[in-house]
Amino acid sequence: MAKSSSSDAQALIRSLRSAYAATPTKLKIIDLYVVYAITTAVIQIVYMGIVGSFPFNSFLSGILSCVGTAVLAVCLRIQVNKENKEFKDLSPERAFADFVLCNLVLHLVIMNFLG
Amino acid sequence: MAKPFPTLAIPLFLLSVVSLLSLRCGAFSADRPTDRRLLVLVDDLAIRSSHSLYFSTLQSRGYDLDFKLADDPSLALSRYGQYLYDGLLLFSPSVQRFGGSLDLAGILDFVDAGHDLILAADSSASDLIREIATECGVDFDEAISFQDPAALVIDHTSYAVSETEGDHTLIASDIFIESTTILGDEKIEAPVLFRGIGHSLNAANSLVLKVLSASPAAYSANPATKLSSPPSLTGSAISLVSIVQARNNARVLITGSLDMFSNRFLKSGVQKAGSSIKNEKSGNQQFLTEISKWVFHERGHLKAINVRHHKVGETNEPSIYRINDDLEYSVEIYEWSGSSWKPYVVDDVQVQFYMMSPYVLKTLSTDKKGLYSTSFKVPDVYGVFQFKVEYERLGYTSLSLSKQIPVRPFRHNEYERFITTAFPYYGASFSTMAAFFIFTVVYLYNK
Repeated sequence: MAKSSSSDAQALIRSLRSAYAATPTKLKIIDLYVVYAITTAVIQIVYMGIVGSFPFNSFLSGILSCVGTAVLAVCLRIQVNKENKEFKDLSPERAFADFVLCNLVLHLVIMNFLG
Repeated sequence: MAKPFPTLAIPLFLLSVVSLLSLRCGAFSADRPTDRRLLVLVDDLAIRSSHSLYFSTLQSRGYDLDFKLADDPSLALSRYGQYLYDGLLLFSPSVQRFGGSLDLAGILDFVDAGHDLILAADSSASDLIREIATECGVDFDEAISFQDPAALVIDHTSYAVSETEGDHTLIASDIFIESTTILGDEKIEAPVLFRGIGHSLNAANSLVLKVLSASPAAYSANPATKLSSPPSLTGSAISLVSIVQARNNARVLITGSLDMFSNRFLKSGVQKAGSSIKNEKSGNQQFLTEISKWVFHERGHLKAINVRHHKVGETNEPSIYRINDDLEYSVEIYEWSGSSWKPYVVDDVQVQFYMMSPYVLKTLSTDKKGLYSTSFKVPDVYGVFQFKVEYERLGYTSLSLSKQIPVRPFRHNEYERFITTAFPYYGASFSTMAAFFIFTVVYLYNK
């Protein structure tokens, strides 16, 4: 029984990997960016857990910058993905422009709230 | 007759006003402590000669003594609102009513105005004298006035050996208070002779002190009659000589023996019963001289001037401090030595930085010339604080200084600009921005 479940898990991982390899490069770049942002957020949360939340505004702005930019990147990925029927009419340039503009506003807010 | 009267009245009035102005009067004030006038009230002017040794010790130190009979109709302590004397010696135990304008209330007002008083009673003490003593915090044996007007302090173990008196009412006591301020630096070797009535102090009163107490075997009774009931006043509760230092620093000396001041007692030798030591001279003169010095502020009178505080590094006194400032506080304390102000050198003066409770309590350090100073950091609390110095020591005048100063919190631009613990957050935000920039470049230029 154990042997089959572990081999099932291995089969699952192998199929995920092969499916992922088929995605276009652009989307992989976005995924990498999202992973980086979320990792940074997790590191900050761990640090706050150790040290305490003394300059809470700085903590919030750090977290928000990571999570906000991750969310915007995910939106970009959804809009740019060709397999997504919903955004067929939206040009990828328009989506990218939206992404850049939103990130600029986000980082302006972050700089002000950072203290 | 009416005509010459008004013309004489005006120059007479001017003359009396001028003579009053030239009189040296006023309480022991820090600016004018010398040459003070004392009023001595006596029952009988013979006391002038029978107690002349004691009076000459006072006069040799510069006091002007004015002897008057206690029922002299021209007695007055004050005229036109100004006191004529700086101290009062009541050596008139049997006076029922004072003459002139003097009465119990007048004497109490005199002490309340900061002047000193020496009260000596004896077995003939009248109700008036007892009342004055009670108002000062000392109770003469009350049983005496009702049952036994002739009750004296008797001590069968510590009496003075004498050829003439065998009823042990002449007692030799050497139980002194331990204080060099009150009794001087030199130890009084010989016992003090005492004959008179004893008194007790209220234990709850913190202003009275026993200077000379009776031995534990003493009691207060009439030596001539048999004791019908146990005496009410016994043992060490009996005080022979007491002092009171009032809150306005007026000093009062109360004793139940006028004979203690007499030349006979001052000159005689003394031998305490049961002891083989025979002293050539009793301790009375030294004791009375030293304690009179204390009563008339020649010792133990402090003044505190020049309270200053400023931030470390500056010299001007700011009107407001900020939390976590470093500041310095200094005060100068001097002691009157009888002729001049000498620096007071001691190591237990403390200053409090007080707001409802002391946030900072520091002992001031002295430079041995009267300047006491210390420095400390303002606590992390804002509000209105006081610099308080409360100094009370046995025999010394009490110092109570307080100076108010507000303390403000940080202004918004006085906080530290970059908080060290927040550096990871700063780093994360900037790294996210950098990552965003690199991402756009990579995304756009990817084929």
